[in-house]
Amino acid sequence: MRQSLYLLSRSVWKGPNIVPLPVKEALSKGAPIRTNARSATILPQFVGLKFQVHNGKEYVAFEVSEDMVGSKLGEFVPTRKRFSYTQTKNK
Amino acid sequence: MVVHILGKGFKGKEVIKIALASKIYGVGLKTSETLCSKLGFYPWMRMHQLSEPQIMSLTSELSNMTIEGNARAVVKENIGLKRRIGSYEGMRHALNLPVRGQRTRNNAKTARRLNRVDRRGLHTDSRGGLSNQRSGLWNWLFT
Repeated sequence: MRQSLYLLSRSVWKGPNIVPLPVKEALSKGAPIRTNARSATILPQFVGLKFQVHNGKEYVAFEVSEDMVGSKLGEFVPTRKRFSYTQTKNK
Repeated sequence: MVVHILGKGFKGKEVIKIALASKIYGVGLKTSETLCSKLGFYPWMRMHQLSEPQIMSLTSELSNMTIEGNARAVVKENIGLKRRIGSYEGMRHALNLPVRGQRTRNNAKTARRLNRVDRRGLHTDSRGGLSNQRSGLWNWLFT
């Protein structure tokens, strides 16, 4: 876990933001966990699991690797898309 | 009179702790102060007052620290890790945009200038920084 990031973001006495997620079922079934909890800290137990995290519109799937431990679920699912101009034909 | 430490020339009149902090990437004022007090240099000692063995001890101390190319490599590695795992911060580095939620409607000029995945480690001798790294790579390739 990246200590400095973790210490900078949150007071120590609170500990990491632990959100109850169906980790056990996902481990046994291998099904992705669908969640809206973008602020949930990625714990070492999550490594190798598949997540579907809400980006405000839809659920984006990704797999947790070892390096991701200590960051939040939402960090891997961007909420904004790049502006691209499209010409409207029928006004 | 010029004193040479780790291939860098220092003017004799420079204060040791300030000169080290300003010329060597990875050494700040805090580190150079502790280094000087560890080696027994008084705070406002200047470069021309150093004797040969003192310069040698300073060089050996500095060569054991992560400075210059190694310190730059640490920063690059950290950014590269963020990029590899596909996090938001890594994406912002790759797009040359501010990483920590600053506004981008206007300004954001520092980020546009500096933020890269392969970021230059800037220091006061930023002109020498890249060429030093290149020559380092050169040496590594041809030895």
